[in-house]
Amino acid sequence: MNNRAVGDSLRGFVREITQSRVDAYAEASGDHNPIHVDEAFASTTQFGTRIAHGMLSLAFVTEMLVNEFPNTWHSGGKLKVRFSAPVVPGETVTTYGEITSIDDTGKKPTAICKVGCKKLDGVDAILGRATVPLE
Amino acid sequence: MAEPLISTANIGHKFGPYEVITTASQAVAYAAAVGDEKSPDYGDHLAPMTVVAAVLANLVEDLGLYELRLQTVHVGQEAGWDRKINVGETIRADARLAASSFRRGNHFATISVDYSDYEGTQVGTSSTTIIVSGQDSE
Repeated sequence: MNNRAVGDSLRGFVREITQSRVDAYAEASGDHNPIHVDEAFASTTQFGTRIAHGMLSLAFVTEMLVNEFPNTWHSGGKLKVRFSAPVVPGETVTTYGEITSIDDTGKKPTAICKVGCKKLDGVDAILGRATVPLE
Repeated sequence: MAEPLISTANIGHKFGPYEVITTASQAVAYAAAVGDEKSPDYGDHLAPMTVVAAVLANLVEDLGLYELRLQTVHVGQEAGWDRKINVGETIRADARLAASSFRRGNHFATISVDYSDYEGTQVGTSSTTIIVSGQDSE
């Protein structure tokens, strides 16, 4: 039996995105896209400077889902997101989420959550939806 | 200079399969890069996006995205898991070009990936959408 309800907020957190974190992510993931790590190249792009990997910000969102649903996120959890704005090193982002509905039609109830990652100026860097089986 | 694969591949083109084995030290490096002291301890399994990130690195290389310094932006991502993936576990990733279209000089491409374990049982799926700037349809 779960005690989740529509309207419940997920416990988000704040994290600063530094260039050293971006560089560490590039090393750890193997994604060395110059738009993230090469300022000379990045300055020629539409962004004009280096931007963080979208997957780095998305890792924060999935960490929030692990914290919130530690026993079920890894086994049946799904997400679909759009990277809606770039995050520049030096910016701070906050993850957030809310249960928008609960599907009781399957074997187990499933929470459908609005999830995202917002910058300090209120702009969503990531916006999407996660579905997570409930215990 | 040869055209990068992202420019020539047709819908349905298969990439890989890639064999991903994330060692304990790689798992720690990934968790440290994305987390902090309050992050969960994943123990003997991987943080959720570790394998997706590893496969993306392989795809980027095969697609020739950075070799030619193409301006590529990651605009969408889907992922789902059937079970936890353990540190050191061999995961096979089969990828294919699921969608490809050109609009106003931008190439929109979606690559879908199926992840399976050594027994061939599916453990997860993902889908990545990118935009490559400055590409026109042939």
